[in-house]
Amino acid sequence: MDSSSRFALDFGTLGLDQKSEMSQPILASLAAALFALGAQTALAQNKAGEDVPHPGTENFHAQCIGCHGIPGYKTAFPDVYHVPMIAGQQPGYIVAALKAYKSGDRSHPSMRGIAASLSEEQMQKLADYYGRPAK
Amino acid sequence: MMRALVLVLGALAAMSAQASGNADKGKQKVAQVCVACHGADGSKPSAPDQPVLAGQYYDYLVRALTDYKNGRRTNPIMKGFAAQLSKQDIEDVAAWFSSQQASPLHNQR
Repeated sequence: MDSSSRFALDFGTLGLDQKSEMSQPILASLAAALFALGAQTALAQNKAGEDVPHPGTENFHAQCIGCHGIPGYKTAFPDVYHVPMIAGQQPGYIVAALKAYKSGDRSHPSMRGIAASLSEEQMQKLADYYGRPAK
Repeated sequence: MMRALVLVLGALAAMSAQASGNADKGKQKVAQVCVACHGADGSKPSAPDQPVLAGQYYDYLVRALTDYKNGRRTNPIMKGFAAQLSKQDIEDVAAWFSSQQASPLHNQR
């Protein structure tokens, strides 16, 4: 009885290990989705219905750092490759990329969620921020 | 034990980061196809809305070109150029651009 309960425990541990390994991409995409949702709710609308940054979210580039601020960081969903380097990129291209994500022309789920929360003015600010040369 | 594990993981990471394309062949292909807009080494785009490619990650470049080729990314100009590239060409071109050290791209928050 003692040995069978130990077996059950071992089996359970093994099952948990496998599960946690398998669900990593799912967890990552969930985190990205929640992140994007958070980004969206950080926006308010003015009386004209235009998106404006919520007070206190002036440093909205914080939502980029989690993936683009880590050298060598890789996407987990929908498949695995390096998140592109954007620091030093041409601002015009960064704006074009964000607009393409917002319109759906580009399909990465996390980036679509984040770009959807950005106004064109914010996109331009982000592009100018990331496009500046290395210090 | 821990040290061995670190070594194995390090080796795996190095393998996965290694480009499988041929940068020399990529250089020739770039000189035919990409140079007019991106520059020979990918560091001098000819228009403000075109990206710097020099020093960009290999696997991201492969992904981007493959997406243009199969229509998942919809830029009409890039669609035409990517359509001319085989899978091997894409890997070679990505190997060339990603191996360029002189680039405005940098790791910074």
